[in-house]
Amino acid sequence: MSNEWYGLIALGILFAAIFIGFPISFTLIAIALGVGWFALGEVSLHLMTLQIFSVMKETSLASVPFFLFMGYLLEQSGLMEKLFRGVQQLLADVKGSLDLAVLITATIFAAATGIVGSSVTLLGVMAAPSMMRSGYDVRMSAGAITAGGTLGILIPPSVMLIVMGPVVGVPTTDLFAAAVFPGLLLAGLYIIYCLVRSYMNPALGPPLAMDLRAESKIAVLKELSIGVLPVIVVIMATLGVILAGIATPTDAGAIGAFVVFLLTLATRTMTMTKFKKSIYATLEVSCMILLLVAASNYFGSVFSRLGTANMIADWLVSLQLSPMLMLWMILGLVFVLAWPLEWVPIVLIVIPIVQPIILQLGIDMIWFCTLVAVCLQTAWLSPPVALSAYFLKGVVPDWKLSDIYAGMMQFMILQLIGLAIVFFYPPIALWLPAYLRG
Amino acid sequence: MFSDAQKNIRLVRFFDLFGLWSGKIVAWLIIPMVMSLVYEVVSRYVFNAPTVWAYDMTFMTYGTFFMLGSAYTLMRSGHIRTDSFYGSWPVRRQGWVDAVCYIFFFFPPLILFLWVTWDFFAVSFMRNERSVTSPWMPLLYPLKFVMPLTCVLLLLQGISELIRSIHAYRFGEWIPRPHPLPVFSEEEKPNV
Repeated sequence: MSNEWYGLIALGILFAAIFIGFPISFTLIAIALGVGWFALGEVSLHLMTLQIFSVMKETSLASVPFFLFMGYLLEQSGLMEKLFRGVQQLLADVKGSLDLAVLITATIFAAATGIVGSSVTLLGVMAAPSMMRSGYDVRMSAGAITAGGTLGILIPPSVMLIVMGPVVGVPTTDLFAAAVFPGLLLAGLYIIYCLVRSYMNPALGPPLAMDLRAESKIAVLKELSIGVLPVIVVIMATLGVILAGIATPTDAGAIGAFVVFLLTLATRTMTMTKFKKSIYATLEVSCMILLLVAASNYFGSVFSRLGTANMIADWLVSLQLSPMLMLWMILGLVFVLAWPLEWVPIVLIVIPIVQPIILQLGIDMIWFCTLVAVCLQTAWLSPPVALSAYFLKGVVPDWKLSDIYAGMMQFMILQLIGLAIVFFYPPIALWLPAYLRG
Repeated sequence: MFSDAQKNIRLVRFFDLFGLWSGKIVAWLIIPMVMSLVYEVVSRYVFNAPTVWAYDMTFMTYGTFFMLGSAYTLMRSGHIRTDSFYGSWPVRRQGWVDAVCYIFFFFPPLILFLWVTWDFFAVSFMRNERSVTSPWMPLLYPLKFVMPLTCVLLLLQGISELIRSIHAYRFGEWIPRPHPLPVFSEEEKPNV
């Protein structure tokens, strides 16, 4: 049996083992070592040391803990809640104001954090009580919260894109730039959808209940500009310097986290307990992601030595399908796998396997990564295995899971429209990175 | 003296201490990581005097941070797993599946890894190896030492996990996991 076949067997064992439910990092290491030992001999042991050491020295990945830290500090400080309350008051007269406030807050929060869960739970805690009191349609509210929350994984500084960069060999900054407009496009689609539906049927999203309104809008505006505006400025500045190429994501992430920390001190919203909670959460999630990066790097190095990825690519290319059909098939595969799996194993295991196909078909890697990112974000909204539904149900037990699912389905259709736009009109992803590179 | 169940719980509590305390200490590394880059950026752009050490400092703390924190993450059961099937199994089945996986997938590779990385470190230590890619030329062996240390911590925490899963198989319930901030419930997870 040739090495390529060992690789295929490794892949088979891997997917079986992943579904057994043992932590994926250790499963990857064990299978890579087992199959590698069999096919390559003692080399596989030293590959392990070298690959993990190389991930320990990969400075671009150091931005993962920084952006996680920044997000958790903001989550703990309650500054996003202030933002939400402010926006909600300013828009009080608009039909569907609470949905709008949720989506605007979510988009801004997405630009500060790289993950999904905190946004969904945070938005659920903040918005659901007022939505229930103002008589909002449960489905649309739940949809807006979950869809808005998942923007965090797409809009830079997305931790998913930071991890994807080294995997496909594209600078993280380019991936960030490519994700900006698709992210905003989706946010825009959500907002238009909510506005149109509440306008056509005000019972879905009435204006804010009278007893929830503030005395004067001037006071609200004042509080917003003192309490929240500085945070938004910091968030935008952090993203700005990355996109403009002035600072690396790692530098900007460190500075951003530091300044956000100073702001939480200045607004007296940070306590020792909250700070400790943030650093422990940062450690736990960073380790989960980065150990998996290290483990799949090792698996990948064994796997690529076996030559299986190229064999699969050669097979598929020899089928002579049109590149676009092939691309649809790959995106479909990513989407289907994203039901049971989370984005981390997909980005780290599936993308390297399909990468040679994309290269052989001559498809632009940045565009491909953006499509994958939108696809994976969509998977967060696809019932029945959609994590964001559980996050939301966890904080709003009064809402029925079936209603949450129904709401998510509505937004999933918007998601697919967004995906189609990025697919048929690539400049929406590719214009900004090209423009920024000059 | 003690029943089997109590013995298990005491053993798990003891071995959990390694994960718990490594996490309590390592979590603070985020501060030097952030601060050395803040110092670097300020001195580079404001005082036009870039440092030679800040980048090395950051990548060394970053590598240490996620490697040494992995035992803590294991203790908090934070390493990502697919629970589409696992999650709906009865506790006893979860227990024996986990126990088998720990014995075959966890201990053998980590023991081998400990042995290889110890050599990797020892060679570097004997030669006083320095990084050649940076002007500061920091010693490399402390960073290389992180790998065998990670293995030791993971193995110790792994003993705790193995006893946990055997306990779950025998008695049908999971032994609770400690949180570094005692006020928070054991099930509370950070959001990914």
